Amino acid sequence: MNPVPTSMAVPPAVPFVAASAISKSYGGAQALRDAALCVLPGEVHGLVGANGAGKSTLIRILAGLTQPDTGEIAIEGRPAAIASPHEASGLGMSFIHQELAFVPDMTVLENIMLGLPKKKTRLGLVDWAAIQRDVAPIIERVGITAPLDAAAKSLSTAENWLISIARALVWKARLIVMDEPTASLSAGECRKLFSIVRGLSASGVAVLYVSHRLDEILDLCSRVTVLRDGRSVAVLDGPDLTRRRLVQAIVGGAVEHLSKARDAAPGEVILSVRGLRRLPRVAQASFDLRRGEVLGLGGLVGAGRSELARLLYGADRPDAGGMKIEGRPFAPRTPAGAVRAGLGLVPEERRTEGLLLGKSIAFNLSLGNLTPLLASPVLPFISPRKRARLAQATIHDLSIKARSPEQPVGRLSGGNQQKVVIGRWLRSKPKILILDEPTRGVDIGARGEIHRLIRELAGQGMAVLVISSEPDELPDLCDRVLVMAEGRIVRELAGADLTRSAIIEASYAATEERVPA
Amino acid sequence: MSDAGYTRRLSPSTRAALGVFARYGTIIGLLVMILVFSFLSPHAFPTYNNFINVLSQASLAMIIAGGLTMAVIVGELDLSVGYAASLHGVLVTGLIVANHLPIPVAVLIELALGALIGVVNGVIVTKLKVNSVIATLGVGTVLVGLSFAYSAGVPIVSGVPESFLQLALGRWLFGIPNPIIFMALVFGGLWLLVERTAIGQEIQAVGGNPAAARLAGINVDRIKILGFVLSGMCAALTGTLLAARLGSGTTNAADSYLLTAFAAVFLGSATLRDGEFHILGTLIGTLIIVLGFNGLNIFGAPTFSQFVFQGAILIVAVGLASLGRSLAES
Repeated sequence: MNPVPTSMAVPPAVPFVAASAISKSYGGAQALRDAALCVLPGEVHGLVGANGAGKSTLIRILAGLTQPDTGEIAIEGRPAAIASPHEASGLGMSFIHQELAFVPDMTVLENIMLGLPKKKTRLGLVDWAAIQRDVAPIIERVGITAPLDAAAKSLSTAENWLISIARALVWKARLIVMDEPTASLSAGECRKLFSIVRGLSASGVAVLYVSHRLDEILDLCSRVTVLRDGRSVAVLDGPDLTRRRLVQAIVGGAVEHLSKARDAAPGEVILSVRGLRRLPRVAQASFDLRRGEVLGLGGLVGAGRSELARLLYGADRPDAGGMKIEGRPFAPRTPAGAVRAGLGLVPEERRTEGLLLGKSIAFNLSLGNLTPLLASPVLPFISPRKRARLAQATIHDLSIKARSPEQPVGRLSGGNQQKVVIGRWLRSKPKILILDEPTRGVDIGARGEIHRLIRELAGQGMAVLVISSEPDELPDLCDRVLVMAEGRIVRELAGADLTRSAIIEASYAATEERVPA
Repeated sequence: MSDAGYTRRLSPSTRAALGVFARYGTIIGLLVMILVFSFLSPHAFPTYNNFINVLSQASLAMIIAGGLTMAVIVGELDLSVGYAASLHGVLVTGLIVANHLPIPVAVLIELALGALIGVVNGVIVTKLKVNSVIATLGVGTVLVGLSFAYSAGVPIVSGVPESFLQLALGRWLFGIPNPIIFMALVFGGLWLLVERTAIGQEIQAVGGNPAAARLAGINVDRIKILGFVLSGMCAALTGTLLAARLGSGTTNAADSYLLTAFAAVFLGSATLRDGEFHILGTLIGTLIIVLGFNGLNIFGAPTFSQFVFQGAILIVAVGLASLGRSLAES
């Protein structure tokens, strides 16, 4: 028997998914033009690109949620027309979307089996005992530790991710598509997810991993497809797969760096917070915020930062402690009261808390600040012409990519939607602006623009408080950073001490101190 | 992830055609109905007198539907409007006949009382966090009880002054029946309020996304209460005009307006906009329903057919509205 030449030992793998020349337009907007994607069996394949580059559209096409105008898709070498999500799962694909789909009141096991064929007893009833036996190895493999009869709503976001992965495995998916899996996970939970992803890949399940976080992409993926303006502009692997090459491909030009030059020294204290508490999440918070300053609030997910922001904003009321704005006591009972006192908020969940997706850009920009739109100072009527003109000006100032001020805001990309939420506060000029995760799910280009905008607002004398879970973001953006852990402000960092590693170290330090040796 | 149902698998041209149907279907339906009735009954239906007559009849339902639109725009339902209107009819007659109050004073008291009922509904819904279906059904049932307590279920018929009847039967301006004038004033006012004032923007925002409206600094509870107040005041006006038209205050007289108003409001949400409630839509919605009734009447269609018509049109209306929404989202 002749030895097989080594070059022949590895047959050219038939891709699990090969999509080519995919084009899709929505109305006038071309979401994809001749895009291609090829995922090999068992590989972790990255999909990156700026917001609006076409990632979601490509995934929606694979999932059978929308149909391409042109192009071909082959699954394991066979041409496939994916007409519905049902057919997509029939072809061995499973999709885990950013917004997790689970039924809060059903149990872990019921959620894992949701929509899947179930074993029946002779009487035709669902045989949960047998199902539980069958599913046990998969539960073990993905590391679900919660009891199977616990309600899904009692679990953390990370554990619900595990449920979705388990569902995909029960279904024997050959490709699992994960859309921004780490957006709402803490660092520890991310590490756990990564090891599961690696395990999936080792057992022959391909993963299409969509993320803005390039560190994760570089860490996990063997090959990466980069989309830009609806085209697949690069497929990087091996030595080509570097952060620099990725960023170049995503941006398509030189990357602008934010100059950290400060326009003005921070002014007098405008907001002072003393001993603010609302258990269980906020144990003790005291700090000062100055005019013209960008103050960062760092820490892990669940450290109490968003809950602290809710207290400042009057969405919740503190158990103890107090606040002053410009020396006067400030105890907002509602967000409306906080706005009257001079606060503005860019909330964490822009789609559900920040915007009316069905309404126009102009409507969303004017929300909560309607006085400038009045046709005359005496009558209560607003002028549609004035509204359109002001909206057009804001769209121009913030370079929001939109066809007209009347376009529904739900049709914009994430970065542009975020600019609309920020734009709302541009005209009313609050004294204090709180931004909760301002660049989550936003692409690199728009992120730079949003950062510049925040610095500009501070330059005009606004006091800005930025909450961010990305340690990279705060050192670039902020004059000073407070790190929260377990409901307390554990460290203040400024000047040369303000680094990414210092923030991370402080976030974890407090947690470790609590653990008995 | 919003699932747009079967609409996402349609070709662009089918989708465009469906879009036109979802947005303009009600208006097309209205025109077709007018044409068909005119053709079948050229002497009775398409006359100025019939139209004025129909519009005058329709005005009471329109006013109550206009008010209900305000409640549904802020994202709540108001099931008390029919019962409230009945109570107002009984009370206003009582105030005039038994208490000898001047008519304008009696009417103003009713409007204030309507606003008060709205405040009660609104406070129960926003502060006690009771689902608006339950809250307004409960309040409405209490109102039925109050109405019986006041009149013992006996219609107040004797001693109703002619001048009160003139409120509904008179033609004070250009020979147009008064109810039409009242209806036009109510609709003009509500349209201006919703579409052209700052409060109207807040009303739309609260209905569209209460969480976002709250965080943008809008007092969501106050806006919702305002929606109920306007609904309550419109119910009071309808109840008063109905009593004037009937010449009596009768318990249950206005109860059936509830269903008509709901059908009109949902038909309206399927008109011109993608499943969004709005004042102009409600106007067209009510026209469809009352013209339909009128046509059926002219042909002497049996009573049961009117119920079938009203029930069927409600379902068609809601179907059209959700079709419009899913087309807009996909």
